[in-house]
Amino acid sequence: MTRRNPRLRPGSYLAFLLWAMLLVALLPDRTLWLLLAVIVGFDWLNARSGWRVLTRRRFWLFVLSIVALSPLILGEADVQWGVLRLSRAGLEMGLWMALRAATLMLAFSASLAVLTVSQMIQLFDAMQLRGLGFALGVALNLVAVLEDVVTAAYHTIRLRGGLRRPFHNARLFLITVIANALRYGDDVVKAASARAFDPSASPPQASPILGQADRVFIAGLSTVGLGLLVLM
Amino acid sequence: MKFSSFTLRDWVYVGVFGALWGVMEMTLGAYLHVLIPPLADTFLIGLIMASLGAVVALVGRYFVPRPGAMLAIGIITAILKTLSLGGMKIGAIVAILAEVVLMELALLKSPTRQRYVLAGALAVSWNFFHKFIMMRLMYGTGITEVYRKMVKEGSELLGLDANYALVIIGLLFLVRIVAGAAAGWLGWDLGRRVARRLART
Repeated sequence: MTRRNPRLRPGSYLAFLLWAMLLVALLPDRTLWLLLAVIVGFDWLNARSGWRVLTRRRFWLFVLSIVALSPLILGEADVQWGVLRLSRAGLEMGLWMALRAATLMLAFSASLAVLTVSQMIQLFDAMQLRGLGFALGVALNLVAVLEDVVTAAYHTIRLRGGLRRPFHNARLFLITVIANALRYGDDVVKAASARAFDPSASPPQASPILGQADRVFIAGLSTVGLGLLVLM
Repeated sequence: MKFSSFTLRDWVYVGVFGALWGVMEMTLGAYLHVLIPPLADTFLIGLIMASLGAVVALVGRYFVPRPGAMLAIGIITAILKTLSLGGMKIGAIVAILAEVVLMELALLKSPTRQRYVLAGALAVSWNFFHKFIMMRLMYGTGITEVYRKMVKEGSELLGLDANYALVIIGLLFLVRIVAGAAAGWLGWDLGRRVARRLART
């Protein structure tokens, strides 16, 4: 379960991600360690979801694949290792690339990934985009239904010998899936209309995106960001 | 572009097409990225995912005929992508949002088959520039390195000498334009066929 700081509103997490992305793009390799330390520190004090990312096999598979492939792909080969011709400059470049990618992934895990669906919907409500929040709710509920729709369409086409004419039946498959998804959508429209739901109406209690604590937090981020840029 | 003019049905359909694209990104996209790491491919995965995404979003625009519909579908897809499991999401999210903005621009006036083709071509051609931008953001690699890698891969793919760098780069860009145009054509075609299936023409 994610332990999000209750004083910070969703707007702060969005600001944190944008801040991290901007600095990852601007900072040179040698100062990237400092940014990584700030992100890890924020994550430790906040939700600690970044630490969970570090325990995932896919994270390490991704990072190590960068390090493993870079001496083969980047730079001029200057070392012969068995049958492989490797580049030392490529390996060095790969290590920096892996650090940059890991920093960005941790920033993402420590920010937007911390928010729950209902918090994202609240964020849309606060931005006067209630319809978008509603559409997100529809999409999330539809994901599970789509699996059944896709499976049923695939097996129906397969049992009718559809795999013998793959291109024609791929189109038929898409038409069936989209038409069935839209039929499901029509049911949602009927249900929402029956409850007199109006996506353009303002929600009863839309809280603002940023509070006092968020403004202080963003001011702090800006200061740290400027400091890191000066260190460049 | 006014979201306030969207009806309840429009928002539901935005959710439906956002879910369709999102599911595709979460399953096929994640699978392809695990199969071929991003560093080892500058061409194929982006081309496949951008073309399929453009088809779904363009069919969505057929059923939500309002400016801003593609943007809304793209935002929903991007959020679904953030909620999915797995490693690399930022590149895909930036690509999804850039593609919908380009398609939105192409469909500012009332949609026709030609504008659909243009929208598809613009969306998939983003894939070409995306690699340069994301390589800089994600990996810090210089544009020269990406360019060299693109030329090397392109020469192997097209069977051309790497000395014809500009021809290779031009052909790789052209392949994206053609794939995108085909996606636009298919999007228009599928939209009409689905509407006929649902008896809405």
